[in-house]
Order: sequence, then C-alpha cells, then structure tokens
Amino acid sequence: MLFERDELLADLTALVERARDGEGSLALVAGEAGAGKTSLVSELVRSAGSSVVAVVGACDPLATPRPLSPLLDFASDPAAGFMDLFVGDPNPTDVFSAVLDRLKDTIRPTVMVVEDVHWADDATRDFLRFIGRRVGPTNAIVVCTYRDDELTIEHPLQVVLGQLVRLSSTHRFEVPPLSVSAIETLAGDRIIDASRVREITGGNAFYVTEIVAGGEALPPTVQDAVLARVGSLDAQARRVVEAVSIAPRSLEIEFVKPLCGAAPDAVDSALGSGVLVADGSALRFRHELARTAVETALLAPSRIEMHRTMLRLLEGSSDSARLAHHAVQAGSPELVAQYAPQAAREASTRGASREAAAFYAAALEHFDLIDPDEVARLRAAYGSDLAELGRSDESLQQLTMAAEFYRAEGDEMSDADMLRLMSRTLWRYPDPDGARRAIDRAIALLEPHGPSELLGITLVQSSSLHMLTRRRAPAADDARRAAEMGAALGSQTVKFRAGVSDACVEVGMGDSTAGLAALEMYRREAIEQGDTHHLVWVLGMLGSGGGEVRAYATGIEALEAAAALSASIDQDINTAYSYAWMARIAFEQGRWDDVAGHVAHVEAFMLDKLDVATVTADGALGRMRVRRGDPGGFDLLRRASAAGSGLELQHVWSPICGLAEHAWLGGRGEEMASILEATWDRSIATDSPWAHGEVGFWMWKAGLIDGPTAIAAEPFALQMGGDWGAAAEAWREIGCPYEVGLALADGDEAAMIEAVRTFDDLGARPAATMLRTRLKELGVDHVPRGPSRATRANPAGLTPRQLEVLGLVAAGMSNAEIADELYLSKKTVEHHVSAILTKLEVDTRARAIAVARDMGVVAT
Amino acid sequence: MPRYLVERTFPGGLEIPSTRDGRKALLGVVDRNAAEQVTWVRSFVTNDRRKTFCIYDGPSPEAIRRAAGSSELPVDAISEVSVLDPYFYVGGE
Repeated sequence: MLFERDELLADLTALVERARDGEGSLALVAGEAGAGKTSLVSELVRSAGSSVVAVVGACDPLATPRPLSPLLDFASDPAAGFMDLFVGDPNPTDVFSAVLDRLKDTIRPTVMVVEDVHWADDATRDFLRFIGRRVGPTNAIVVCTYRDDELTIEHPLQVVLGQLVRLSSTHRFEVPPLSVSAIETLAGDRIIDASRVREITGGNAFYVTEIVAGGEALPPTVQDAVLARVGSLDAQARRVVEAVSIAPRSLEIEFVKPLCGAAPDAVDSALGSGVLVADGSALRFRHELARTAVETALLAPSRIEMHRTMLRLLEGSSDSARLAHHAVQAGSPELVAQYAPQAAREASTRGASREAAAFYAAALEHFDLIDPDEVARLRAAYGSDLAELGRSDESLQQLTMAAEFYRAEGDEMSDADMLRLMSRTLWRYPDPDGARRAIDRAIALLEPHGPSELLGITLVQSSSLHMLTRRRAPAADDARRAAEMGAALGSQTVKFRAGVSDACVEVGMGDSTAGLAALEMYRREAIEQGDTHHLVWVLGMLGSGGGEVRAYATGIEALEAAAALSASIDQDINTAYSYAWMARIAFEQGRWDDVAGHVAHVEAFMLDKLDVATVTADGALGRMRVRRGDPGGFDLLRRASAAGSGLELQHVWSPICGLAEHAWLGGRGEEMASILEATWDRSIATDSPWAHGEVGFWMWKAGLIDGPTAIAAEPFALQMGGDWGAAAEAWREIGCPYEVGLALADGDEAAMIEAVRTFDDLGARPAATMLRTRLKELGVDHVPRGPSRATRANPAGLTPRQLEVLGLVAAGMSNAEIADELYLSKKTVEHHVSAILTKLEVDTRARAIAVARDMGVVAT
Repeated sequence: MPRYLVERTFPGGLEIPSTRDGRKALLGVVDRNAAEQVTWVRSFVTNDRRKTFCIYDGPSPEAIRRAAGSSELPVDAISEVSVLDPYFYVGGE
C-alpha cells in the first residue's frame, strides 16, 4: 500500500498509455534515500500488469560498480526477452541499439526501470544518454530512479541529466516526504506521536516504516531503529541478516549457510520479521539504508571473515567486479591482486573508464604481489584510461613507470609504445613541445628495428602533431613514410591513417583543393568499410579543414554530416566541435542571424567550458558582435583568447584577430600591436597560408608590417599588395561579404560608397560609421542607407527566420518538428507562423504555402 | 538578465494610434518578445517620432535582434546599460 503517491502514479501511468500510442518517454524519479522511489516504481509495474513488458535493472552500490549492471540484469530475466543481449561479446553501442530496437513493441509497451542511477558506472551513463535521447519515438517508458540529494555539482550524472531534461520526451518527478496524516494512517491502531515521527524522519517513507514497526518507544536515530529491529531477532536469524548485509545487491540463499552456519529455518524467520525480502532465489534488505546500517555495525573481524568466505564461494564466477569488491573489503592484498586486474580490463572493454581506473588503482596498490610484466601492462592500460578521464599527471606517472620497466628489460618496442601513449597524453595536457619530444624518441627507438605496424602508427601520430602545429615538410614526410610502411606491411589501418594525414597536410598547407578531394575519397572508403571511427575523423577534418581554408560548401556539408553522425553515436565533443565550426563559417559568410543558433547547439553538447569547441564558438559569436557593434563581443573574445592560449594556433588566431579588429573599429589602433604580436610570431613560424593571411592582414592594418609574406592566402595578399579590386573580387568569389567591404574600403570614392552599402547591408554598423566619417572628410557628405538585405531578398517582407520557418511549413513539418529542427521553443515557432500568416495576409498554413510559392519565396 | 538600450530609427515616423488596434499592436510586440525571453521595459520617443530609445531586458543581443525581427522593428544600435540615478551613492554614506 502506498501513501500520498496517487498523483505521481497517475502521471506515470499516463506516460505508459502514451507509450502505447507511440509517444515514448524518459521518467526521472528523484528523491532522497528511502523516500519510496522503488515502491512507487514497483507499484507502477504491478498495476500495469501483463499489458506491458516490464524490464527491471539496477545499478550497483559496489565500491566500484559493475559496468552496465542494469543491462546485465535485463539479460538475466527470461521474461524480459533480452537474454541474448551480450551474446558474442558485442561492443556497447551495439548493445544499446539492440535494447532500443526492442522498445518498439506496439501491442505491449515496455516499462524499463533502471534503479539507483546515481550509482551508475560510466558505461551505464552512456546508455542512459543514448536511450534518453531516442526513447521519444518508441513504445516505451524508461523510468530511472536516483537520489537527488547525493548528486553534487561535480557528480558525473549531472551532465547526463542536464542534457536529457532539455528534451520534450523527458519528465522529472520528485517523490515528496510523507505528511503527518499519512504517518498516522500508517501507524494504524498503534499509538504514536506522528508529528514527532515526522520530525525525526523528515517524512522519509523508509524511516517512517522502520520507526513505526519498532513499536512505541521512539529511537533517537533511524540507524538505532534498524538495529533495534535486528536485535530483536533470535541469534540464528540475526546471523542471516548479518550475512546478507555484506552482499551489496543480494545474497544467494545457498550461500547463507556456508557464510554464517545458520539453519534453513532461520532464513524464514529473518524473512518473517520483514527485515529481509526474498528476490527470486536470493535474499536482500528491504532497503539499502538498512543494509549499510547493519554492515557498519558488524565487528571488523567477522565482516572480513565473511568477505573472504564470499570469495571462496564465488570462486570461478565470471562476475569480476563482484569478486574485486569482496577482495577489497576482505582487506587481503593477495586477493585484490588476483581479482582487480580482470575487473579493470572488463570495465575498460565496456567503455567504463572511471570504473576501470578504480580497479587498476586497487590492483596496482599491491604491485609487489603481481608479476612485473603484468604490472607494466596494467600501468599502460591504466595510463590510457587516466588520459581518457583528463587526469594527465597521473597518466604520465603510470606510463613513465611502465616505460622504465621496459627500458630496464631492454624491450625497446614496448618502451616506444609507452612514449607514443605519453605523447598523446602530453598533447591533451596541453604541452605540444613535450608531446613532440616523446614522439621523436619513440621513432628513434623503433627505427633500428625496421618496419612495423607500431612504427607506422607512430609516424602517423608524429605527422598529426606536425600538422597541428602547421609545419608542412615534416608532416608530409612522416605521412609519406607511414604510407610506404603501411603498403609494405599490407596494413590497411596504417595505410588509411597515413593517407588521411597526408590529405590534411595538403588541405591546410598545400593544394587545398586536392587535399579536400583526397579526404572525400577516404570518406567513401570509411563508409564502404563501415568504420564509424574513421568516418567521424575524416568528416571532422573535411569540416574544420574546409572551414579554415574557406572552402565553405565542402566544409558545411561535411560538418552537417559530422554533427549528425557524432550525435547519433553520442560523441558529444565532436558534435559540439562541428556546430562550433558551423558558427564560425556562418560568421565569416555574413550569415550572422545563424551564428547564435549554432552556438546554442555547442552549449547543449559541450561538457567542458575550456574545450576547443567553446573557444571556436565564443570566437565566432564574439567577432560577430564586434562587427555588428553589439555589446558583449569583447568579453567573449577575451575569454576565447585566454582559454585558447594553451591551444594550437588555429584555435586562437581568429579570436585574436577579432580583438585586433575591435581595437581598430574603436579607433584605438595603437593597441593592436600588443594584441597581435605574440600570435603573429607563432603564425610566421608555421606554413599556414590562412594564418599568415589573416593575422598578417591585421598587422598590416595596424601599420606593423608593409606587405604580405610569401605564402599568405591570396585575397589577403592581394589587398596587402595594394590590389583592392582583385581582393574584393576574390572575397566575393569565396563568399565573405564583410571582407569584400574591407577591400572596397581601400579603393576610390565609388568603391568606398559601395563598401558603405555592403556594411549597411550586413548590419556592420561600426565599419559603416567609420567609412562614412572618412567619406565626409573627402567631401562626400551623405551616403544614403540602402534597403536592408533581408527586405530586398524577400518581397513578402519576411525576415530570414520567418522565411526559414515558411520553408519548413511548406515541407509539411508541424510546429513541434520545426521547433526541434531550428532549436527554437514551440512557442517561438507559433509566433513566427502567425507572423507569416499575417504578412502573407492568409489564415491557413495551406494558403500560406500556396501564396509563398506564387511569390517564388519558397521553391515549388 | 542584462539590460539593453536599443536605438531605432523610423524614417516615416512612428505611428501608434491610441485605439484598440494600437493596443493590439503593442501587445503583439510583448507576446513576440516573450518567445525570445525578452522584456520591453519602456521607450523614449523623440518629439519628431523618428527615433526611439528603448530599454529591454533580455538574454543576449541576438535575442533582442530576433525579437525585433519578429515584430519588424528596426535596430540601429544596441548598448548594454545599467541604472544610475542621483541617489546612487546615498546608501553608501
């Protein structure tokens, strides 16, 4: 029987009914420990009965949780239909997709329960993100319970919840405390001071039940209440309860006797007391709070003894996380050394880096008990996981120790492999110079051993490092050597990666058209091979590379594909970075109304505020504001430049140029030198034409250099060389209207007037005002404002956004679909649609589409 | 939420009749602003009715521009502002 949960239950039941009609949802049920989340969810499942498929799984309260524990639960329930989920050792993404596929039963909707997600491991959190984003169009309700009072700001679940609550398919529920009158009802005939109970327990359903069950005398704390109840059991039953308390989830009945020697009927009396409940062929506490209360009250020697017995009982079990947990609790170094490495490797394979790291750490604490070869392997794997988690210092420490071992053994190949991994960690640190030194040493160690796949991969990594610092000759050399080695060894992987590296060198520092064409070829190859990992990489290179060299059509198409693909496999950092580059391109192309929309996407996917995606997005939004003369641009650019100072040049040069432009437009040309100089020095140390070009251009505007460098990108070089007409033409060709204006502004009077019109058209107020003042000095008093670009382009007087909405209306989309597509609220879309109807003087969507087609506003 | 001063020019002069239609027009602006989380606080209109200086609260300059766009209002310049009045320092004495 549940008290005061009718409303919650009704809401959840309504979601089950909607799932039946194809409107799936994610229900987040929050409450403190003991609030009654599980009871609520069990009641939901019970009342839905056989009209639904119920699947229940839980996260582990183990010190280090078992990766994908809830999914393992699904797979172990014959009625759930997930028995084959892990057959054939599939990778996590395949498992997730398999689960999703089964949520589309239209006859019996699925109620999928994931309990206690505050304990979820990394891989389970990935699962929640995956399923939460896709449950909308299914016939399922996924119910997750969690203790919201245990979620600190840094709790890794926060990020996932933060992203999921934005979705319209996500619903959040709070399980409220019980009221005094509910406590009275619960107490029944017993005479109890309900307000006092409410005070002690805060209305926590579990605490209330414990205290009410304890009888008349109110215990001072809830733990006392639990222990008092256990204390009232006979000695045999008490031993059963104590034995069950050392098993974090539940204890198989057959283990009870070996653990504590209690007779079988003692199990019955423990169950009869209500302290324990039966769960299939296992026993567990009615609540985790009670289990911890009993476990903490155990005397250390008997607790340790029981954990050791558990390990003997579990011997040969494949549940390595459970074994490792008892080994740690048993306080036996030998047992930890025996079980933790396997648990670590399994967690790593399932993509649970955090849990893997915890197991590696536990194992390595007793490195002296492990075979030294194995220790080195563990350190290498631990180091890689730590790097994944951004714990660079610890990563380097582990990899260094592994490298030292191999060095002492004279194993140069493995030593080099460690250096290669260290180089990768150092790059993320970020310490580009350290990364360079490590990779050079790795190559020097490997070369005497002749061609090998390891040397091939190391050369590719070296090429990428040269590429990222924009040094052409060494980047191309390493890529070429790697390609030859890949061909000689017949290694498809080495050949592919070497080829992509070589193409990237061409895009950024050579024949960019040929480079982009080569990348398109590798893109097709990755699609043919079905290699998603390679495809994401190639698309990212096409998008950001195409963007950097201002090959916008190629760049945008690749970025849209990259964003869609990365989002579909939940690679959020790549998704965010793709949108950041879309923002930068929209800024450069003068599509300023689109910039903020792309930046909103970056914010939605970004986890870490200091990443390259944020720097790129801040740069684009900041520069756009500076060019519009809107407030806030300077702050964004300063933030981007500061955050980017440790990153490679290509991430910082645009925001730095934005700061220089801000000073120039504000008539403070004298500030430009100090803004630009350091970045200029970095630029000319590279072979990047567009860094030479754009940074050089602002150096030239500031009067700090006289002309372009030899490799500066053409349109910038033309203008610095004095040929403003050709520069304007080149910019028009590329599609950068603001730069066309900047070039024309260097021209004769007619060109300057055209430049003012260009700036007016863009809404580039500061540049337009500056140029009007100069024209006035030349005696041209008044340059009239032209009609704004928007009105000229759309005869119906629709704004660009309204035009966009109308296009989607014409494509048959509903307001909700348009809202999703344009990343707007449904309300905004409704407003746009009603504004469109008013402007077109019609009263239905169908009429609006017809009128728009007649006017040629949208394609027929 | 930041506060902005938005300058607008109406070459033909701003006409808002004090009738039911005028009231409807203004409320329409308010509704469309709300969709962008933008609040129109008040405006100052020059005597020739060709320029307005409007105080808005909004999340970003882009939101101010989007709101203006959906109500077809021109935007010359946006500045971020805060309130200063003659008694600003009195509390600090």
